[in-house]
Amino acid sequence: MFRTLSTAAICMLLYGTLILPFTTYLKNKPVVEKLGYVPTVNVLKSLAVDQKELVGASLVMKVMMYFGGLMEKTSNKVQAPPDYISMSRLLHGAVKLDPYNMDAYYFAQSFLTWDVKQYQIANSLLDYGMKYRSWDWYLPFFAGFNSAYFLHDYKKAAEYYQRAGELSGQDLHKSLAGRYMQESGQTDLAIGYLTAMAKGERNPAMKKSYETRLSAFKEVRRIELARDRFQAERGVHPANLAQLMSDGFLQSMPVDPYGGEFYLQPDGKVASTSKFAFGTGVNKKNSGATP
Amino acid sequence: MLSIIRITLKGIFRDRVFQGIMATACAFLLIPVVASLSMRQVTELSLTLSLSLISFILLLLAVFLGGTSLWKDIERRYTFSVLGLPLSRQSYLVGRFGGVALFVALTASVLAATAFAVVLYSSAIYPSERPIVWSSMAICILFDAFKYILLIAIAFLFSTVSTSFFLPVFGTIATFLAGGVTQQVYEFINSPASKDIAPFVKEVARLLYYVLPNFGAFDLKVNAIYGLPLQIDGLLLTFGYFVVYVGLILSLAAALFSRREMR
Repeated sequence: MFRTLSTAAICMLLYGTLILPFTTYLKNKPVVEKLGYVPTVNVLKSLAVDQKELVGASLVMKVMMYFGGLMEKTSNKVQAPPDYISMSRLLHGAVKLDPYNMDAYYFAQSFLTWDVKQYQIANSLLDYGMKYRSWDWYLPFFAGFNSAYFLHDYKKAAEYYQRAGELSGQDLHKSLAGRYMQESGQTDLAIGYLTAMAKGERNPAMKKSYETRLSAFKEVRRIELARDRFQAERGVHPANLAQLMSDGFLQSMPVDPYGGEFYLQPDGKVASTSKFAFGTGVNKKNSGATP
Repeated sequence: MLSIIRITLKGIFRDRVFQGIMATACAFLLIPVVASLSMRQVTELSLTLSLSLISFILLLLAVFLGGTSLWKDIERRYTFSVLGLPLSRQSYLVGRFGGVALFVALTASVLAATAFAVVLYSSAIYPSERPIVWSSMAICILFDAFKYILLIAIAFLFSTVSTSFFLPVFGTIATFLAGGVTQQVYEFINSPASKDIAPFVKEVARLLYYVLPNFGAFDLKVNAIYGLPLQIDGLLLTFGYFVVYVGLILSLAAALFSRREMR
């Protein structure tokens, strides 16, 4: 009896000694590593047997937790660039297991476009989803936005929005299709899109991500309006933001929530050194650009 | 035979299997919390998790009750005293199978009621954009129960020829894994992607497709989760397949069991 108790006590002591460094190690484990190794979708399909939907949902959850962890880890600022390739691979795997999983499409749409700039991949994924979620207006709505805003393919955008309008019964989508036919007011439309997305979002990390981008785009719009007023009055492009400030076209210096600095490109377009993403070399500016 | 079914059920309850299931079913309480992490499909995720948990519990029951019931009787020499009574070996086997199958059906009913409550709760908090088709959910669980009853029949078949529990338990698990992918394999070998595969391998795969149970047909989760319409003729065919396949397996098991030498 005494022996058993002694052994148990020693084990408890060893556990107590180990648990702190063990927890610290796990806490500091690199986040990329945390996404871990996941077998290929064909292997998962065979192993999942009748639990394909569960495995698909688990993959989505894994990516969400990983991304949410990154956002939280750096006080709402992603310093380490997320492993987007693995995130994309996992979400593509998830929809192969469960092609109806909306979370996968929704999450892939958010980062494949804004962060990774893989618009064609995003739209291919959405096209794949549309074959299954034939009732869902969100997928053509996303694809329409990608086509118009990122790819400048207004004909395709109009088709997607037409489909979204037919499914949702909302005239808004049909009118959006019309608006996207014109290459004007892009920032306004992005603000409208992001406002709608942020409003309906329940996941705190995603909501924060949308709100940050929305905040950045509102600042861009403020600069654009000032720039247009300057141009209308003076007949030339403003040289930089400082000129807009000093001449009273801007009331306060716009702040980029991604930590970058706004500047005007030679063609007058508003850009930021952050490229509207965290941890993307905020101090590097495009050649010839002045803040 | 009815008395064997009754005794089997009593034995399962006496072994506190049902209490074990209820303890595992406590995981249902966590489902609404986990499902709330979903961005766009809380109710769908609730359904996914509920149906998966039911499926998992029924799988454990099918493998362990189905794989050990008959083996335990032979090992403990209960069969000597029971088969000394005016009762055929076939009736004894079918009675034992009926008892385990009935227990699985009862468990599926209780778990289904729990899952309904969980999904109702989740959908009340986060209303779904898709309508919840309760009848599809019930049919999905019913066909899950059919699937695992078929697996129990296979476990009994292995038990009739085995002298240890290894073959019934691991053989049943292997059959479950193989039966879950036969449809995928069949579709693959009939697609242009399989042009490099040797014709002999294709023929073997085709043969296995017809011999092994096709568990993919019983999986209606995607219909239940996303409210997709069910095909009545497909359901009737699957039910017919279930009845015929179970009949075949039990006939084979009964034939083997009647010739088995008891020592």
